Amino acid sequence: MKKFMPVEELARDERFHQVTQAERMRDGRSAFSANSEQSRRSSNRITPERPDASEAARGLMHGIFVGEIQALEGAGRTCWDFTTGEEAPFALKLDMARQAWDEARHVEISVKLGDWMGSEIGQFAENTVLFQAACSNDPVLRLAGVNRALEGLAIDVFTTMKEFGEVAGDPYLEFCEDWMLADEVTHVKMGSDWLRKVTENDPERRKKALEFQNIVDKMFSYGGTRSDSDESSIGLARRFRELAGFTDDEVEYVAEVSMQALNERKAMIAEKQAAARR
Amino acid sequence: MASKGKPRAPFAPWDRRELPGSFSVEDTARRAGNYKWAEMKLFEALGGWIATVPELDVKMRLGTHCYKHAWHAELWHKRLPELREMNPDRLTMPANDALVRFFAAMTEPEAPETTLEKLTGVYRVLIPRFIAAYTFHLNNTSEITDAPTIRSLRFILQDEFDDWRDGEMIIQSLIETPDDARRVAEHQARLETLMTEAGGVAGHGSIGFHATAPEGAAAQ
Repeated sequence: MKKFMPVEELARDERFHQVTQAERMRDGRSAFSANSEQSRRSSNRITPERPDASEAARGLMHGIFVGEIQALEGAGRTCWDFTTGEEAPFALKLDMARQAWDEARHVEISVKLGDWMGSEIGQFAENTVLFQAACSNDPVLRLAGVNRALEGLAIDVFTTMKEFGEVAGDPYLEFCEDWMLADEVTHVKMGSDWLRKVTENDPERRKKALEFQNIVDKMFSYGGTRSDSDESSIGLARRFRELAGFTDDEVEYVAEVSMQALNERKAMIAEKQAAARR
Repeated sequence: MASKGKPRAPFAPWDRRELPGSFSVEDTARRAGNYKWAEMKLFEALGGWIATVPELDVKMRLGTHCYKHAWHAELWHKRLPELREMNPDRLTMPANDALVRFFAAMTEPEAPETTLEKLTGVYRVLIPRFIAAYTFHLNNTSEITDAPTIRSLRFILQDEFDDWRDGEMIIQSLIETPDDARRVAEHQARLETLMTEAGGVAGHGSIGFHATAPEGAAAQ
């Protein structure tokens, strides 16, 4: 088995349909109106009052499910891709193996929750961007991109989903999301701790890793899908991020790039709508 | 209640543990180092394979088992300094070159249509060898002086039996045609040949026989 597997080779059964981040962003169905004051609801957060709440929650749940599969695959690849001792410390690989087990449980939980919510495996497309972030040939960059940026996003998503379970009166959903949230905080903390430890005497490598994390954070702001604004369907879980080892400045940075991504996307859509009217 | 001060036997009548054991401190450290190396190679391979198998249930099982073998490697890693090996990396090594060849062959399958080969190598060849070596060790070490190793062996063996059963049932569920059965048998035979040459996860002597390599086997 070779080291470093390209994203195109991820093995799936015939139910899955994979799309890239670029394809997802080009899909008109995922766009929203720039004129949010008039044509959009005041909040995009998933609430039971929304007429499309069930479908939106199912879609988000399916996104979590495929994200967990890729997180499982990414953690597993980190166990394999790097030589123990020379390229990655033994203890780091033990943590990645532990993460693989946690992600495997999350896949199990997501399958059961998806079933509970009435969706089927493969009902929605799979965006493979998460695994792409797990393909770096530097283990520290993987930790920054996956454990800090993506698992950080997972904290935001699970918090949003848990709150939805709470307001929708679904204790089953709330219970499961809370357990997964506990694991994600652990994974982000793992990433924060290893990033500091491995780059302790290598400021250049740390700088590179943090830059990579920022790129992934921006990419995963999903054109404003996640931010402090109610216009974003996923909120920023500040408290859990702090528990996971994010500094106040780092949380502020994520808040800022998320808001920036939201505004950029709105401006882009406004421009396209204006062009269409001309 | 017995009267205060009445002497009691230091070992209760039901406690039949004995002092003698087959392994010295050095022997035990060497085996622990071999176990750690093999468990490491196994968890790394299971982790790498997760992304290469299309079957969702297999993917999840590999993720779960990956951690268990990493934990076993960690237990042996922690045991080594207790056995006077202060640099655990020094003894973290394969029992012999044949075992290195076995692992290279076992981790060769990569394509998504080779799930059966991947699982056969692990659950029909390697894990039974772990069970055998650990059981021999458990049954032959000093029940009193080496109690910490025994405790680890018992935890690990429980995992190995559970994982072997999981893996074997998945293999049985994936064998659907005579051609599948032939593929599995051929791959198993190929890997068994290499493992026979290696003698087991702790080399020749893994289960007590052949303290040195048998005639015709590659030198250790």
